[in-house]
Amino acid sequence: MAAHVQDPHQLQDFYNPNVLINLGPSHPAMHGTLRVMCRVNGETIEDANCEIGYLHRAIEKLGEDKTYHQWMVYTDRLNYCSALNNNIAYAMAVENVMNISITERCMWIRVMCMELARIIDHIICVAINALDLGAMTVFWLLYHWREEAYTMIESMCGMRLTTTYARIGGMSYDIPDNLRERLWKFCEDFPRALDEVEGLLTSNRIWIDRTRGVGVISKEDALKFSITGPSLRASGVDLDLRRDRPYYIYPELDFDVVVGSNGDVYDRYLVRLEEMRQSTRILKQCNDRMPEGPLWVNDKRVQIPEKIDVYTKMEVLIHHFKIFMEGIDVPKGEAFTCVEGPNGELGFYIVSRGGPKAWRMRVKSPSFMLFQSFEASVKGGKIPDAVAHLGSVNIIAGELDR
Amino acid sequence: MTTSIAPRAAYLSSQENLSKRLIEKYGKDRKVEFDKLNEPMIWAKSPEDAKFLFRSFMVDDVFKMDFLSDITAYDNKDHEDGDKRFVLVYQQYSTTLHVRVRIKCLLDENEEALTLSDVFNGANWLEREVFDMFGITFKGHPNMRRILMDERFTGHPLRKEYPIKQREPFKDNIAFHLGANPKSIDTHTLEGEEK
Repeated sequence: MAAHVQDPHQLQDFYNPNVLINLGPSHPAMHGTLRVMCRVNGETIEDANCEIGYLHRAIEKLGEDKTYHQWMVYTDRLNYCSALNNNIAYAMAVENVMNISITERCMWIRVMCMELARIIDHIICVAINALDLGAMTVFWLLYHWREEAYTMIESMCGMRLTTTYARIGGMSYDIPDNLRERLWKFCEDFPRALDEVEGLLTSNRIWIDRTRGVGVISKEDALKFSITGPSLRASGVDLDLRRDRPYYIYPELDFDVVVGSNGDVYDRYLVRLEEMRQSTRILKQCNDRMPEGPLWVNDKRVQIPEKIDVYTKMEVLIHHFKIFMEGIDVPKGEAFTCVEGPNGELGFYIVSRGGPKAWRMRVKSPSFMLFQSFEASVKGGKIPDAVAHLGSVNIIAGELDR
Repeated sequence: MTTSIAPRAAYLSSQENLSKRLIEKYGKDRKVEFDKLNEPMIWAKSPEDAKFLFRSFMVDDVFKMDFLSDITAYDNKDHEDGDKRFVLVYQQYSTTLHVRVRIKCLLDENEEALTLSDVFNGANWLEREVFDMFGITFKGHPNMRRILMDERFTGHPLRKEYPIKQREPFKDNIAFHLGANPKSIDTHTLEGEEK
């Protein structure tokens, strides 16, 4: 239906190939404080420019100002969808600089936590991506399980979103007795929810039309842009740090690396869905094979004394005071420790010059690389495709801006 | 080496090969060191040499470093690592052998590094971040402007002399634009539209 145009100037706008559209920084479809400026010709994005920094909180600078122990809470605020993963990756980075090897039970608990965090992160990505494209049922189905996972995390460390669970050399608490049963139930029932989601989306005509061939990142582009994680694997590159540079007890575990082929939104969705299944598999093995034994490494430099000893023995009280007020003395040296985070390679590059504070605390975040490639791969698509694309790569602003 | 990484991991033998070759082939007039994870790092003699090393590792048939993991820098104000002000750090990774190598390069305050964005698109934002945080500029970079901080911001926050609580609030947002060097936009038409 032709609109009745009263002002001829409006028509001029209509045919203008240089209309600038601003997406974000505070818009529900932009998943945080991301801002993309697009130049659209009709409905096609011809040029895009991303602007970041709206959530910049100087976390790297604070890493040089706080002691190693104090900085643990800041790692929660990096990727707040999978805080456990960041806590553990950071603890591992400091342990690597100090040459500490943690106990076996601690390794199993950490792997369990990381996989639980991975499931939560993938739930958020798949559910919100579907919600953005109009499939609300998936959101309700999956968020029930996210809630269940958060309740489990709450029973482990008392906090839900910003966990601060890991400590250098151990964990703040041991896992509760009833976790085994709960986790078992989770591992049994959660894959069924995934089946339901798969029934709703995977062969859904509308979902396929909206996602297949949209937001394509080719294999070559993915490598050139240094993308890691599920988005890289969806583009057909077989790279997973859990298998290729194994840490903790991953070599003993039985799991598959999921690789896609087209690198579009649909493949990224499939990869994440299957990774959730694989993570559930790992959780099951952790639950069955969780060893008994000490949680904390027997190293006086980092071991936080038991509370009962702190209250009854004077030397222990002094030791406790020293750890928390002065901090841990980390020897001179450096290490670049990477783990396979839910969105890709999460790395902590610590340069220590001795003392309780880091000289340089670098966080290599996967979202930074993902958003950079977004700027290039969004060109040629439509505005609704940009929203689908952004949801599928799961950029977390906290990690992007640090 | 820590035992928190499983000892039977396959990449460790390639890491030994790499370290050996690094010392033999490139370590004659450059310093090669090992970090706490026994991963090799090599000190480039100049920014040009750093780029040369980066490209050599990419085509070297033993290294096969086809992936750029990170570009960052740190302040060397106490001159522990040399007599220049900054240390520029490149982290390279091999997606076939799964080993890492680190290239380090000392830079003075007014010295320019060479851009890697012509080799890896991913280097573009990483270099902008290094510029934003340390003030190191990269020669040949297509869009050398701040990325995390506001464009009007003064100073470089990750330099050691920058105080942690020195904030610089801006009341308004920066003007709406498509980057410093918009490639395809015709600004002349835009100005004409506004009239």
